Amino acid sequence: MMNRTATLTDPAALTSRQEARRQLYYELISGTSGLALAVFMWGHMFLVGSIVTGATGFDWVANSLEDYYIAQPTVFAVFALFVIHAAMASRKIPAQLRERRQMRALAHQLRSYPGPATQAANDLRLQPHLESLLWIWQVRTGMVILVLGSFHVVLLTLDVLTPLFGTRTGIEAASTFARVQGGLWPLYAILLLCVEFHASVGLYRLAVKWGAGAHLSRATLARLERIMLFVFLGLGLVALLVLAGWLDPPLAFLLQS
Amino acid sequence: MNKDSQKAGRRLRFEIFRYNPEDSMSRPHLDTFELVETPYMTLFLALHRLREEQDPSLQFDFACRSAVCGSCGMLVNGRPRLACRTLTRDIAQTIRLHPLPVFKLIGDLSVDTGTWFRAMADRVESWIHAKLPFDPTAQEARMDDDLAAAIYEGERCIECGCCVAACGVANVRPNFVGPAGMNRIAAGMNRIARFMLDPRDERSGDEWFDVVSSDDGVFGCLGLMACHDICPKSLPLLEVYAFLRRKMLAAALAPRSRAQL
Repeated sequence: MMNRTATLTDPAALTSRQEARRQLYYELISGTSGLALAVFMWGHMFLVGSIVTGATGFDWVANSLEDYYIAQPTVFAVFALFVIHAAMASRKIPAQLRERRQMRALAHQLRSYPGPATQAANDLRLQPHLESLLWIWQVRTGMVILVLGSFHVVLLTLDVLTPLFGTRTGIEAASTFARVQGGLWPLYAILLLCVEFHASVGLYRLAVKWGAGAHLSRATLARLERIMLFVFLGLGLVALLVLAGWLDPPLAFLLQS
Repeated sequence: MNKDSQKAGRRLRFEIFRYNPEDSMSRPHLDTFELVETPYMTLFLALHRLREEQDPSLQFDFACRSAVCGSCGMLVNGRPRLACRTLTRDIAQTIRLHPLPVFKLIGDLSVDTGTWFRAMADRVESWIHAKLPFDPTAQEARMDDDLAAAIYEGERCIECGCCVAACGVANVRPNFVGPAGMNRIAAGMNRIARFMLDPRDERSGDEWFDVVSSDDGVFGCLGLMACHDICPKSLPLLEVYAFLRRKMLAAALAPRSRAQL
């Protein structure tokens, strides 16, 4: 079969079955690592979110995770996933700036339908280029996460494994407050925005690409994605406001006896 | 419907890409034409009037004027569309027309989609692959109505090339559209899915793996789904894409294929 096609096509471009298999594995690794990171970020939200009960709650959660040696391996596992996901997911990003500009131009060409959108003819969909724009922003937020996320993970690794920050080895509410209030809050705000966007859009794209759209329409999936985005963005914002000292821990009364 | 645009008889301004690759003196440029809009005017009507009344040298392709032949695909204000089913009342007063990108330009708005689609059919071996010799006396195997309908859905492709023109990856990387990449562009994937669904086609998962999932296969697609959104025939290209991905995963996981590799 391959011989027959090879005469019709460029033989050099036809790759072996091993190569084809490798492409499938790359795709699977990029998807599953992304999925795992998104699930981790949900858990992460609740860990950071413990700050809404005040410093006591936060320290208790951190201490528990460290005492039972959950935090230490998690830090390494997440960092490994982070690097693997970056390597795999970035493999399809056009390398040349010219190519990326072209992608963006195409996205806008297809989206902007000039004139009055008076009627919904078949070939006149409302948001024709949602996917292209989402993908472009996936690349952009991914780049930001790669930089800011690395910084954050390194900082947290030092927190968990060394007594460099705060008074002891481990994550502490006091040093976290100091860090955020000492000027890192814009960095964490940007990271929060990028991560929540990247994770919810990534999950949406996974669902679309593997065919969840057969059961739920793309519009429904997009709506779920948006709900997810705003819920986690909201939760993260509350945690960040508390850490930045602009909001008293709203659930602090729970731990006051 | 915008009633005003029908009453007013707008003066439409056409900016049309002109270039004749056969003529060494020809330089790519935009020519401007004006035309008074008539009720229910399509780009098909407008272009014919421009050619008859204003410039007989204007090149563009048409055959059926009813979205069946697939020859009038062009960029209308940047978006790939079939000229014959685009009503001028739905678009702005200034209408900029370009030939479909990616394909070989014949002249002005006319491109050669046929060569590409022929090569795509060769690449995906767009015919039923039966293992047993054909027995003319045997009764034809029955097919489920739903399955027949699903296969027909893929057959509705008119090969207009709009999906190829709307593909981000095809636009960015010219090699992507070369023979090796034909299996990952919407029309090619659609063709593959059609034969994959067909029980008469006896190609095994492994054989499909080569066609679909090679270096330039379905996993080279970014999944931006512009093809799905612009397809003038509303083919379910998104479902086709997801279907092929699941099929390839299943083929890779099948124990028999693992032994062979």
